[in-house]
Amino acid sequence: MNIEPLMNDGFDGEPARRVLRYMEGHKEKGHPIVGIYCGYAPIELIYAMGIVPTVLCAFSKAPIPSAEAILPANLCPLIKSSYGFILEGTCPFFSMSSAIIAETTCDGKKKMFELAAQVKPLHVMDLPQLPDEVEALDNWTVMIRKLQGFLEKTYHTKATDQTIETAIQKTNRKNSMMRKFYDYAAIHPPVINWQEMYDVGFLALPSTGDEMIPLLETLLEKLDKRVEQGVHYGSPESPRVLVTGCPVGGDALKIFKIIEAAGGLVVVPDACTGIKAFMGKIEENTPDPVRAIAQRYLEIPCACMTPNDRRLSSLSEMIEKFKPDAVVDFVLTACHSYNVEAYKVGEYVGERHGLPYLKIESDYSDNDEGQIRTKIEALFEILG
Amino acid sequence: MKVYAGIDIGSRTIELVVVDIQGNIMDFIQTDTGFDPITEASRILAGVPHDQIMATGYGRGLFETAFDDAQTITEIKAHARGVVSIFPGATTILDIGGQDSKAIALNNGGRVKKFEMNDRCAAGTGKFLEIMAKNLGFSIDEFGVAALDAKNDLSINSMCTVFAESEVTSLIAKGADRKEIARGLHLSVVKRAAGMINRVSSLGPIVFSGGVANNPCIKALISQKLGRQVLVPEMPQRMGALGAALILAEKASESD
Repeated sequence: MNIEPLMNDGFDGEPARRVLRYMEGHKEKGHPIVGIYCGYAPIELIYAMGIVPTVLCAFSKAPIPSAEAILPANLCPLIKSSYGFILEGTCPFFSMSSAIIAETTCDGKKKMFELAAQVKPLHVMDLPQLPDEVEALDNWTVMIRKLQGFLEKTYHTKATDQTIETAIQKTNRKNSMMRKFYDYAAIHPPVINWQEMYDVGFLALPSTGDEMIPLLETLLEKLDKRVEQGVHYGSPESPRVLVTGCPVGGDALKIFKIIEAAGGLVVVPDACTGIKAFMGKIEENTPDPVRAIAQRYLEIPCACMTPNDRRLSSLSEMIEKFKPDAVVDFVLTACHSYNVEAYKVGEYVGERHGLPYLKIESDYSDNDEGQIRTKIEALFEILG
Repeated sequence: MKVYAGIDIGSRTIELVVVDIQGNIMDFIQTDTGFDPITEASRILAGVPHDQIMATGYGRGLFETAFDDAQTITEIKAHARGVVSIFPGATTILDIGGQDSKAIALNNGGRVKKFEMNDRCAAGTGKFLEIMAKNLGFSIDEFGVAALDAKNDLSINSMCTVFAESEVTSLIAKGADRKEIARGLHLSVVKRAAGMINRVSSLGPIVFSGGVANNPCIKALISQKLGRQVLVPEMPQRMGALGAALILAEKASESD
């Protein structure tokens, strides 16, 4: 079936180039840009100050050899790639950022940020990792306020409760429309594929509600048309896969590509690069909008949190909605948090939902594609 | 009468099994894979008539591209099917081949329920044993027998092949017994295999397939370590090719 490209702007399949053009547009208008690496960067606060957040490069194997001259080789590829881009000066998003926002999600990143801070102004937020402790919310609220101070000083701009509240409401609308967009993958067979979800998610993450909502309106119309015309991916028999775990992008997309080549369909990309970024809702019209932001971010079910039972309940919600036939857990080499948590996730998915579970541990290189392919194909044979 | 071929293109060897529609083995050929698997495969296929062919093993994708009429399945499903034809009640399979090792759990119907497979590293595979045998001056056939014969257990701690090689070098330099080093290396493979087996199933006999199942020391140590019976089919290295051929024959008899 020949399916018309969703955005059809010449950038389909190349979301990084699309976002680069978008960022260049902001740069030409003289808008200040701040670099972010992680889903814990509170973008509503950034928007509220008239600053544009940009997600920095972290998914290519190309700069890893440069990074390994300084970082240990047995470190997670995402950290090595991020730092390699900084060293080589090859990430255009990094070049256009005046400063970087970082969080203490894991030890490797924390120490890499110390090195990166020598290159560009970098602000580290101390992320509470026991989110259910009563102090966590207070502490994270303080950290967001401190970030506000850093940004005000660095960018000579101000945020008020009013501008923050407006940004919260717009993000909530953007995120609820993004969830509607992903709903088209819940249809059986799905009306969108992983590439389209990746393309739209890549753009939606740094975009404001004002920019993204009109685009999403046209995308949802196009998708309704697909539904009417019976356009879909795969067949009703194609195995539906939920991919959970570490972020997936660039060279790590091999996991999606192999699933597709084996005849499967990724119906839920659950990661910071997928649905996770658009889940949850920030409480609106509270007396303290920064605290409301802090509350929402602490609910992100990242493996850096302990305990992380929210990951399991969020998996259950996704499984019930998207009806996958199997769960693939993608773990980046040396990402101990996700790797250790994998056992719990596998047991839960099997016992609670009776679904086959497969952990794939890999990095950005392509030399294990044969083994991954055998594992994925064997997983599908179990379903068949 | 129609006949069905299964070809297992592994990293070290290629096996070809031909069966009739009842699943009786009509032909079996084994050869080294070398560095040109498709030429080797074509060579052994020449003069072996077959109506349909199913490829498995790491070279199955290559084979499918070279031979239009070929179908493929993974070595996990193929070994499971091959093993069940010999041991119908099997619930747990350990398959150690040249490059990969796998533990497979089967349900009552003999279908794959769960599996574990090594990541890219060659530790715990036939390749590892082959390199280590060479380092110690044993042929691959002598290696397992010598290890079985060692008086004491000696521990090799490195999982990675090149690290284990340097560990062996330092043990030799210390004057350690060659047979005991061999046993230590076998133990390190067994440790990995036992971990994989425990992750898929904890009860019942283990059927050991793949080329490494011909090694008597690995077999004995697995049984000892896990306290479970270990069964080895005759010619365990051909279970993949046999399974692939049987799956074709089965399909054909169903559509008859």
